[in-house]
Amino acid sequence: MSEVQRRKYSQEERSVVFDGEFMPHIDSMYNFAFRLTFDEDDAKDLVQDTYMKAFRFINSFEQGTNAKAWLFRILKNSFINDYRKKSKKPATVDYQEVETFYNSDDVDYQSTSDLRAESVKDMLGDEISNALNGLAVDFRTVIILADLEGFTYEEMAKILDIPIGTVRSRLHRARNLLKETLKGYAQSMGYGRDEEED
Amino acid sequence: MENTDASSPERKLQCSDVGKCFQLLERILDGELVEGGNELLQEKLDQCQPCFAHFHLEQAIREVLKTKCTKQPLPEKLAESIRQMIQDAR
Ligand SMILES: [Zn+2]
Repeated sequence: MSEVQRRKYSQEERSVVFDGEFMPHIDSMYNFAFRLTFDEDDAKDLVQDTYMKAFRFINSFEQGTNAKAWLFRILKNSFINDYRKKSKKPATVDYQEVETFYNSDDVDYQSTSDLRAESVKDMLGDEISNALNGLAVDFRTVIILADLEGFTYEEMAKILDIPIGTVRSRLHRARNLLKETLKGYAQSMGYGRDEEED
Repeated sequence: MENTDASSPERKLQCSDVGKCFQLLERILDGELVEGGNELLQEKLDQCQPCFAHFHLEQAIREVLKTKCTKQPLPEKLAESIRQMIQDAR
């Protein structure tokens, strides 16, 4: 590891890093925490714990590197270690199981011609949000990281401690599952059939 | 924005390789493919109806997720209490 990384921050530098590089991500962190726990108090605790850990381990953060990815990784690990077990929601399928079930490299690309861009755009926030919240936690997580927070595959691989190939396939499957749900919503909204064509 | 479901006579109605094409489109949308990506994308969108529809659907989904799922209001005193905890920990 580099010299910079091993060097200890002074008291003043710590404040600068904490306030300047960590605190600006609090909205994203809370949104992530809430979508993991579905509970305001748990989300608050999770964000607080994350920031406490970030402060405690601040010397292992290299200034100028991606603070948001670093924080998200801590939050995700805290969630797995401390919160997942006592989550108020019934346990969802674990990604290990899911990924053993599917062949990890065998990603299925298919046309969802019965779901249209228009119907997705017409959906209300609640429908999208509910569809996202309905996904198993590991699928939900990759969508949050990629689509809500704009992390790259490489950053996601680091946050989740999984290979990039797994990020890609998990994300693809997550989106397919999301589309299935949205298709259901679209059909109930009357967008199901091709009225105008043919 | 243009009508994303518009069919064009120049576009073929069958995609020659859905697997490869869709993977490419999705990676471009995820910002993972830059080199030559734009030309390839334009070619697919101009010439292939399934690719055109898939691209716009995937793009719409990313947009609604980004605009409608990131607004969880931050509890009022959270930032303050974190700053306090850090103060106390010093
Ligand atoms: Zn095509």
